[in-house]
Amino acid sequence: MIEAHDLGVTFPNGTEALKGINVKIDDGEFVAVIGLSGAGKSTFLRTLNGLVKPTQGAVRVGGVDVGRLSGRSLQRFRRTVGFIFQQFNLVTRLTALDNVLHGRLGYLPTWRGLLGLYGERDYALARTYLEEVGLADKQHVRVDALSGGQQQRVAIARAMAQEPQLVLADEPMASLDPRLSDVILGLLKDYNEAHGVTVLVNIHVLELARRYARRVLAFNQGRLVFDGPVEELTDELAEQIYAGSLEAL
Amino acid sequence: MTWLFPLLGFLVAALAALSRSSARRYLYAGGIALLVAFFTFPFSSAIGYLSREAVYPTPAGLLPSWAPLGLIALAGLLAVLPLAPRLQGLLGTIGGVVVLLVSYSWLAQPVFLAKIVPLPGLTEAAIAFLAGGLLFLMLRERSLALALVVGLVVAGGSFTLLNGPVGHTYFPRLEGYYKLIRPLPAEESEHLIREYNQGLAKTNALREEIGLKLLKPIESLADLEGGVPKDLAAEGVRLVRPSSLRYGTTAVLFLAGLLLASSLFLMRNPELVEAGDRVSGLTAAAVFLILVPSFYATEFSLGRLVEGWPFFVNFLDRSWPPNLADPAHNIFPLQEVASQMALTVEIALVGTFLAMLFAIPSSFLAARNLTRGSAFTRTVFTLTRAFYNIDRGIDTLILALIFVAAVGLGPFAGVLAMAIHSIADLGKLYSEAIENVERGPIEALEAVGASGTNVVRWAILPQVLPLFVAYTLYRFEINFRVSIVLGFVGAGGIGFFIQNAMASGQYDQMIIGIIAIVIVVNLIDFGSSWLRSKLV
Ligand SMILES: Nc1ncnc2c1ncn2[C@@H]1O[C@H](COP(=O)(O)OP(=O)(O)O)[C@@H](O)[C@H]1O
Ligand SMILES: [Mg+2]
Repeated sequence: MIEAHDLGVTFPNGTEALKGINVKIDDGEFVAVIGLSGAGKSTFLRTLNGLVKPTQGAVRVGGVDVGRLSGRSLQRFRRTVGFIFQQFNLVTRLTALDNVLHGRLGYLPTWRGLLGLYGERDYALARTYLEEVGLADKQHVRVDALSGGQQQRVAIARAMAQEPQLVLADEPMASLDPRLSDVILGLLKDYNEAHGVTVLVNIHVLELARRYARRVLAFNQGRLVFDGPVEELTDELAEQIYAGSLEAL
Repeated sequence: MTWLFPLLGFLVAALAALSRSSARRYLYAGGIALLVAFFTFPFSSAIGYLSREAVYPTPAGLLPSWAPLGLIALAGLLAVLPLAPRLQGLLGTIGGVVVLLVSYSWLAQPVFLAKIVPLPGLTEAAIAFLAGGLLFLMLRERSLALALVVGLVVAGGSFTLLNGPVGHTYFPRLEGYYKLIRPLPAEESEHLIREYNQGLAKTNALREEIGLKLLKPIESLADLEGGVPKDLAAEGVRLVRPSSLRYGTTAVLFLAGLLLASSLFLMRNPELVEAGDRVSGLTAAAVFLILVPSFYATEFSLGRLVEGWPFFVNFLDRSWPPNLADPAHNIFPLQEVASQMALTVEIALVGTFLAMLFAIPSSFLAARNLTRGSAFTRTVFTLTRAFYNIDRGIDTLILALIFVAAVGLGPFAGVLAMAIHSIADLGKLYSEAIENVERGPIEALEAVGASGTNVVRWAILPQVLPLFVAYTLYRFEINFRVSIVLGFVGAGGIGFFIQNAMASGQYDQMIIGIIAIVIVVNLIDFGSSWLRSKLV
């Protein structure tokens, strides 16, 4: 379960990225986070795994106050949260399998991690999820030899290999061919349904959010302006959320 | 041969004008350079008794002796006045001709006796002004008030230091460095000479007693060409020889030609101007003003090159054909070159490898993006960078000389020197590679809960490793060439072989070493760049 209480983030340069967010998300939900660019979607997702610290209020994930974690305990928490980036953030000189195995680093003693001494189970998990994203035959291919869509699938497998309680995806299709959006979102949706893991996806394109998510969170200028089932997101509301920007509709 | 210099200046300006680039730029350059040379370049020599007593006065310093020299400064000044191009050309033409006339009539002046009048504090003030001015220019962008204060403080401070006992202790030649040359009136010259001749009988009696050569009486000033008598020189009297060329004289002659030609072309075609002529002229003048004394200081001389020509011919004669092997005398130079070349390569290999071993870990401490965490890591960063900067400044050869003294002649000293110097160079390159890694993978590995060292291992190392290898190969190329020279300071290898062959005059063996170096340098450069292109 995710609970945010009066969550606020102000960056050192004074930008108020999030203001007074109150939200509760149950385990196993598939939630779309929408809003204009700069609305605070990424910042919201990043507070959930501690990449950004709240400057006000608090956010709890699975009962843990994320903002208070640091050092070893933060690492232990983070290994249970998969994060999928818009730019994939893979180590492109390594193979697909190596990258998926990185998802297991948080579970290994540091010295074994340094030597790359993963266990049998780590390998088994990595292979399973590579297969699940349809890249079983690419496991020994260097990532820089893969297409953009394949790379993002490797990143998804890396997140799944963490066996997470929560998956956060920050505009995972934004740097891909629009035709691949369904592949990526389909993978996340299937994963959510098969494993019952909570998934939060930032989506810039409203149409896609409508198609995949049952619940939608909408941000505007750092405020949560809509939280509810996708059916309640009327066209007028959407227009307000995307005020002034027609290209997103 | 002096006419070569104005001709050269004339040709430079003429070629520039004929290629339709701005003639006014060279007019400005000539004017500015003339003005500076007038105050700073030595124009003649004035000899004393000992060779170190000679002074080399500037045209400005010679003004009290011969006022027409002032026309040089006037010509320079007129040339830089911002007037209409045609008028500027006219003034420049007149100026160029006047400078030529003045210079040549100065060169034709007879020798004369003069007294030197040091101007204490002038050089000190000039240096202080330059230091303060430079700082002012550098800081001006940031804040005018700050620049003014810092400039004044530095100028005032350095003047006080230089012009006080401290400056004059550490830089004894600075005090009264700039000198005026005041001619002695004719009667005073004659009086001095008469006095000298009268005292000669006594001196010569003394000299005869201790078996020294007798001194001749002075008939005319020309007799003093070999040096002014000791006691006269001690009183600050010098013999000025206008016909003796210094680099200032040749520079002024060159500039006169430049001024004349650029002015003539500008007069004929006032279109030969460009925006920013004054700045580009200033730049050209600065380059000229720096290069001329530098050429002089390096004793650059085409004449000596010509004189040395027979040596080259002799060298080539004696080095060809190469003596590859002479079994009759049990001499095998080609074998020796091969062995020594192998040693040279091995020194470079071990030196580079050791440097890499130390540079890899230290470069992580010298990467800004990895050391932002705490005050402690920031201190480590600063210290590592400071070590790099100092180490980079100490050349391998200097280190080798020190290590040869410490551990004795031989390759080990060379390897140590090379390793220590290369750490800084490699470390700096490595740490820059680390600073330029993509942030994405770092963030991703932090997000999976990997520990700090694992982030470095899996997000940073894979990105930088190929660059590390490329930089190491590149450093090896350099170190191979350094290793050749290391042989000359006693580290062994091909340099040592060449030095020995040269010293014993066995040029037909030395040539094998030279050819081997040419081949191996190219092989290594080719191989290493091929490898590097495969990597990145
Ligand atoms: N590290 C940061 N430092 C300062 N401002 C930031 C930083 N990250 C994001 N911001 C600002 O916070 C606001 C919200 O950004 P973000 O959460 O990335 O929006 P979104 O993901 O919805 O496009 C924007 O105005 C952005 O410029
Ligand atoms: Mg974003």
